[in-house]
Amino acid sequence: MGERKIRVLISKIGLDGHDRGAKAVTALLREGGMEVVYLGTYQTSETIIQAAMQEDVDVVGLSCLCGEHLKHAPELAQKLKEAKLNDVLFVVGGVVPWEDIPALKENGVDAVFPAGSLMDPIVDYLKENTRRRN
Amino acid sequence: MATEVDKLEQAYREKPKRPSTWSGLPLQEFYGPPDVAGVDYGQDVGDPGDYPLTRGIHKDMYRGRYWTRREVSGFGLPEESNRRLRFHMEEGASGLSVIFDLPVQMGLDADHPKARGEVGVQGAPINTFRDMDTLLHDIPLDKITMSFDESVSLCCAVTLAQYVAVAQKQGVDPSNLRGTIQNDSLHIRYCGFGISTPVDLSVKMSVDIIEYCTRHMPSWNTININLYDLRETGINAPQEIAFGLSMASSYIEETLKRGLSVDDFAPRMAFYCSSHVDFFEEIAKLRAARKIWAKIMKERFGAEDPRSWRFRFGVHTAGCSLVPQQPLNNAIRIAYQALAAVLGGAQSLHCCSYDEPICLPTENSNVLALRTQQILAFETGVANVADPLGGSYYIESLTQQLEEEAQRILDEIDGMGGAIAASRNAWFDREIDKAALTHQQQVESGEKTVVGVNAFVQPPETETPGGVLRVASETEEEMVRRLRELKQTRDQTRLRKTIDELRRHAEMGEKENLIPFVLDAVKADASMAETIGTIRQAYGMSYDPLEVVQSPFFKD
Repeated sequence: MGERKIRVLISKIGLDGHDRGAKAVTALLREGGMEVVYLGTYQTSETIIQAAMQEDVDVVGLSCLCGEHLKHAPELAQKLKEAKLNDVLFVVGGVVPWEDIPALKENGVDAVFPAGSLMDPIVDYLKENTRRRN
Repeated sequence: MATEVDKLEQAYREKPKRPSTWSGLPLQEFYGPPDVAGVDYGQDVGDPGDYPLTRGIHKDMYRGRYWTRREVSGFGLPEESNRRLRFHMEEGASGLSVIFDLPVQMGLDADHPKARGEVGVQGAPINTFRDMDTLLHDIPLDKITMSFDESVSLCCAVTLAQYVAVAQKQGVDPSNLRGTIQNDSLHIRYCGFGISTPVDLSVKMSVDIIEYCTRHMPSWNTININLYDLRETGINAPQEIAFGLSMASSYIEETLKRGLSVDDFAPRMAFYCSSHVDFFEEIAKLRAARKIWAKIMKERFGAEDPRSWRFRFGVHTAGCSLVPQQPLNNAIRIAYQALAAVLGGAQSLHCCSYDEPICLPTENSNVLALRTQQILAFETGVANVADPLGGSYYIESLTQQLEEEAQRILDEIDGMGGAIAASRNAWFDREIDKAALTHQQQVESGEKTVVGVNAFVQPPETETPGGVLRVASETEEEMVRRLRELKQTRDQTRLRKTIDELRRHAEMGEKENLIPFVLDAVKADASMAETIGTIRQAYGMSYDPLEVVQSPFFKD
């Protein structure tokens, strides 16, 4: 029996179409041995929750680049909680001011990887922190 | 553990890692006469102002006029953007530029359910003629040049109409308006706006704008082919040239079908290029693009007016080269990129702000970007002589290398049937994804050095020097309130009449130019979404590209 691979969902909420980062992270997490569901742009909290449940993911990754993180990220965190997906790791990437990271963490975001983050620390973080069975 | 002395010794011995350009073109140790033996000065280079315009489009270059110093802005309420525009004028900007929020750029109004959280956040929320009027308050439109950073051509039609309507209200004849609308609906598919950019209708609207402006706004740049945005998706320098010029050629082919001759409209086509991190490669890229375009225009399209041969372009320094780590370093990156743009012969320049990878640019970071341009223009002396690097063995050889590689890709696209065909079969998508991933892998592996990211790293910052600019949360509420109020108080009969006319003409087929009818609807206070939705429906599409909102006028 092989080890169960870490399953990650990558997505964007709202109208922003800057998807270069989300796509690159998707491809590189796959290279890092994870299974990634790329849900892409124009999603809502609801479509993400639904996919997260259907795909039984360990991690939900949200990419925000246009200043919308303070609205979308806490909202999605709340919805994850309501859907009882408490053991799913919720990470945010993109254009996020350092100043906003504490507020995001207080509101249910487990980790923030700003633009310019390298993959190795992200992969390490996900491996160490996925709380579910492997 | 490496000691300080070990690190010092290692640093002392450091040398360049990559004997190639940022785009991966191989480089020699040095260049000399044999490397330019095949370059014929008269035929391949020419004096500035002479075909094939490799050295620049004007004989006197910046002695005639400096490049336009233009900083993009737009956020918050229309009156806040107005204040920022006037602030730029006050500080010595020589042109204005506005970017719109995401709902507007997708053709949605502020009251669209999917616009929640995005109104006025990354651009100005200009839904109606009234909003445009507020945005331009106390700015005399016959005295300024304006650039609208907007590319979904359906939205551009409405924005242009709003601008013309405000000009007329100010008593300015549209023929006296100077400026640019991006109107490049092919490239914008690759910038996240595919869903609101159906290929055929979008190209039709781009051509409507080109045709309308050619006939009524002779000083306006009818289209601004956006190579910059394409480059930001992750492609390299030769791809930037080839993708952009292939798209430009498609617009020409489509516009010719309207019965205009190429020399009628080509002189008012403009371009927007990136200036990325590799200094000499970017200069060579701009020279090569100028040369290839001149040849395309003369040889392929048979343009006889020398103005049609001119690759006139603005430059946007490379936003994707900036990183949030050690953010002040970005100011240095921006300055080098700006220098490359000027040495490459740009007609206008937008410098990024150092805080861009972190938040909306603050007023102070905006000023620093403008000062970067002013120092270049007024202190460094680089504007005194046209194409100062022309004749350098390296630059001429590299220009030729870029030209050959870009031409190879252009031929490949032509072989597929041109840019529209390459869009349809998702060829651009695949090339973009491949290139973006390759770049990221090179950064991950350290093959490419990014200071602060994979070299010379410091502990993460906790705060942004200069602070963070935020859009007040009341912006959205206020914009929705204004829109609802307008929808209740406008002249419904007049509105309905203009909407019906727009619909009727939109049903007459793709050669029927819709801009005059868009203008009438806009003047009757039709909103962005209402105007676009009416055209979409006439073309058999849903009123709302996101299929959430219904038309107040017609059933889908």
